[in-house]
Amino acid sequence: MKFGKMVAILLSILMLIAAIPMAATAETLTLSEEPITLTLWDIATEDPQKSISDAAVQRFMDAYPNVTVEVTHTQNDAYKEKLIIAMSSGQCPDIYIHWGGGPMNEYINSGFAADITELFETYNTVDFLPSAIEQCKYNDKMYAIPYGGIGGCGIFYNKTIFAEIGVEVPTTIAELEAVCDKLVAAGYVPFSLANGSKWTGSMYFMYLATRFGGTEAFAKAVEGTGSFTDEAFMYAASTIQDWVGKGYFPEGVNSLSTDDGQDRQLIYQQKAAMMLHGSWQARSMEADQADWYKANIGYFAFPALEGSTYPQNIVVGTSIGNGFSFNCDGEKLKAAFILATQFFNDDIYNQAQLDANTIPSIVGMGDTIQDQCMQQIWADFSAAPQVQLWYDQYLPPEVGEKHKDLCQDIFGLTMTPLEANQALQDAMAAYNK
Amino acid sequence: MRMIVKEDRKSVVAWAIAFVLAALWLLIALLPFLYMVMNSFKGQFEMLVSGVFSLPEALNFDNYVAVINGGFLGYLLRSIIVTSVSLAGMVLISAFASYPLSRMKFKLRGFLYGLIIACMSIPMHVTLIPVFKMTTASGLYDTLWALPGPYVAFAIPMSVFILANFMKGIPVEIEQAAEIDGCGKYRTFFEIIIPLSKAGISTLCIYNGITFWNEFAFVKTLTQSVKAQTLPMAINNFKGEHSVNIPVILAVLALSALPMIIMFCILQDKLVKGMTAGSVKG
Amino acid sequence: MVNRQPTLSLQQRRKRSTAVAATWFLAPALILMVIYIAYPVVETFHISLYTWNGISPDRTFIGWGNWETLLQDSRFWQAFINNIKIMVLSILIQIPIGFLLATFLDADSKKFNLFKVVWFLPLLMSSVAIGFLFQYALATNGGLISTISNLLGGKNIDLLGSPDRALYTVIGVIAWQYIPFYMVYFLAGYSGFDDQIYEAALIDGASRSTFIKVIGMPMMKPTIISACIMSLIGSLKYFDLVFVMTGGGPGYATDIMATYMYSTSFKYFKMGYGSTIAAGMFILITAIAVLVRRVLTGKEER
Repeated sequence: MKFGKMVAILLSILMLIAAIPMAATAETLTLSEEPITLTLWDIATEDPQKSISDAAVQRFMDAYPNVTVEVTHTQNDAYKEKLIIAMSSGQCPDIYIHWGGGPMNEYINSGFAADITELFETYNTVDFLPSAIEQCKYNDKMYAIPYGGIGGCGIFYNKTIFAEIGVEVPTTIAELEAVCDKLVAAGYVPFSLANGSKWTGSMYFMYLATRFGGTEAFAKAVEGTGSFTDEAFMYAASTIQDWVGKGYFPEGVNSLSTDDGQDRQLIYQQKAAMMLHGSWQARSMEADQADWYKANIGYFAFPALEGSTYPQNIVVGTSIGNGFSFNCDGEKLKAAFILATQFFNDDIYNQAQLDANTIPSIVGMGDTIQDQCMQQIWADFSAAPQVQLWYDQYLPPEVGEKHKDLCQDIFGLTMTPLEANQALQDAMAAYNK
Repeated sequence: MRMIVKEDRKSVVAWAIAFVLAALWLLIALLPFLYMVMNSFKGQFEMLVSGVFSLPEALNFDNYVAVINGGFLGYLLRSIIVTSVSLAGMVLISAFASYPLSRMKFKLRGFLYGLIIACMSIPMHVTLIPVFKMTTASGLYDTLWALPGPYVAFAIPMSVFILANFMKGIPVEIEQAAEIDGCGKYRTFFEIIIPLSKAGISTLCIYNGITFWNEFAFVKTLTQSVKAQTLPMAINNFKGEHSVNIPVILAVLALSALPMIIMFCILQDKLVKGMTAGSVKG
Repeated sequence: MVNRQPTLSLQQRRKRSTAVAATWFLAPALILMVIYIAYPVVETFHISLYTWNGISPDRTFIGWGNWETLLQDSRFWQAFINNIKIMVLSILIQIPIGFLLATFLDADSKKFNLFKVVWFLPLLMSSVAIGFLFQYALATNGGLISTISNLLGGKNIDLLGSPDRALYTVIGVIAWQYIPFYMVYFLAGYSGFDDQIYEAALIDGASRSTFIKVIGMPMMKPTIISACIMSLIGSLKYFDLVFVMTGGGPGYATDIMATYMYSTSFKYFKMGYGSTIAAGMFILITAIAVLVRRVLTGKEER
């Protein structure tokens, strides 16, 4: 036995030495043999996401036979309500996904997300994007593991129509307006927008405000040191109304629904030439009709505002498609952490995501993606000095919803820019008290 | 049968107008249903490009195949079970309750009737969390049997409201005659009141049958695995986070509506028979 | 029991047996309703006294604070007014049309079977399908209404996206969905008639229209009243199609009490206030229903 022990010690020393070059990144997390059951809730109801998620869980269970994971896939629309009901009844799953931002903070404040700062600093092996890690933090502590993939937004455009009327991809907002005017003259609707869904119109507001005042204007307005009636937001709201007046958006813009595909319809019918939308639209359009999509659709970043002193390549969107948070502790938490970092976010998982036109929130991950639009999205995302998280996710839930409701008033011209921004400011002030 | 006896010019004109309006309403009622079926044969791209109102390029059954391979028959079976169990419970319990409320005199009658009617005005969503808690506590969570309880409970107020109203219309003499013949309250109920309330009961079955069949909020909250879910949840299987394959969903909806149409035809037939057999001849 | 109280009169005994029978008949319904409805309602009123995000183990008791907010909450009262508009128009549209359809079918229910089945279809369709199809049918550009307007030389009409028209558009779609229910309901009401009454009336030389006016309507009165009450309550707590079609928008143009309650409870993380809205809805709806019922039937019952 003595000899055996010596060998063991020697071996572990050797292993330690071997591990030194890697030790800068992480130690290995080990689990005890006790049987563990984990419940996991996600929103992967549809393939390929569903099989990718199931496969990751299966690999984990094969590697750790003492752990059983019970997965429940719930459709997006129903998921948030279901999670609230489960939490309020003390039935919160051990691992659940969320979108970060305001709702995540509520989960954390209510005690449903374990602090994983220490686990993460000691054991994490994945080279997540810094902005992704940032989104998983609250008060400088880590509460979630990113997974899913980045979701920036930008402008999808019809290359064929651009060629037909002889315009180039615009790089400034002035050029964009010139393109729009030409499109209107040629009988096209410049932007396809289905603002019945509310968050779709918010993208225009966010980009215009960010181009004018950087992420700073928004951060200040949220903190209370600035206001939503500041110049950046006034510029955003009045530019939108100016564009509405010039006919840049489809008729009845507030009645169209993106869930029912009414914005993609205008693109497919070649009635509209551009669509500011989330990067997942690349996946949706390819699923609808891959050949047509590849032949006709290109992508460019939201153009720059001349004269602004703020960085003009900030991306609006999210660095984490989703985050996993953990409502458990001890061995269960360790097991959940291993699952989230080593099986979701491993090479097999990441490749499967890339094949499905989704870029995991990991450094260098998008370099090999095939899809042209996604290549551009990744390039913009990698070059961006900052990512402005969706307002409606960043803001406290009530204020976020108010912002979306107001976007309809802005696009519908039922409020002046000042009225709308003042209403948002009032909601924000009421929250800050 | 009621027939038009006076065939004078005035009534012919009236009938002509009635028929034109009836045909117009036929169109209004039918068109959306027709479009639902029509679009269920298209591909998503085809539907978006050619528009919702065009005929499909071909009768393409791919969506239906996908739906049926996606476990549709299991959902269908579970829906049939849940709907029939709930319907049986609903009819029995609300008929029981309607009888004393409409035809007996006792102290708390007005109060109880008012209470049951007040329950009609409860927004269902506020009950989700308490009902969820009870369901998990009772161990019914994520089983098919979590559903009939809340379904029946929420159907009772309106059912009692309708049925009590029907039972009020049954002449007192019939009941008195039965009592003189030596019928107890219970026999009177089963042998006189129930058969005479057939029309009301079949209305209830039609309305609540559809409600149970399409019910979504409770099944979404009280179940989480496929083995416990009914047809409305099948729709979610074909919905992703950001993308929705609409024609496939329409195929699910068209297939789910079919059993209900058949049900309606059968029950309607019963209702017609009820008109002659059930009408009060004194 | 009876032996011990030999002084019990026949009438008293009958009274008692009636009470016993009534208890048995009512018990199952009451038990089920206490479990699934009464308890949640009490819970709702209870939660309405707290500030609570819906998930946290801690909640703060604030007494009537939420109720004071509710009384001054202009969004709630705007939603209430929208509900009242839906209510009034639903009763005015759904019940007369349902009545006419039923009257037509009642003339010869066998011959008109096809009409009956087709007219019934809207009630069968799920809100998801209705929401989707009407979203396209009502589209400003290329939708049915705009196309008709174009044919008549008019412009495109924005229905769901216009704050002035969105609510009425939704009311129209709700009516389309629920008219078949009232049709079936009135049809069942007609079936309670004695054929002999009609035949006797015909022998007396009454035309069908006079029959409906003079005998049909009065006999159907209780059925019509209860249909009105159902439509009233249904419209005041309505949720489905508004949630699917507009989500309360544009702005708050189609916001109704139930959608406001839902957003507050499940989207804004304000379960305490959401419960207050729900409890407020309950009180308002019950009060209106009782009042209307008194007005409609009061004279006869008293």
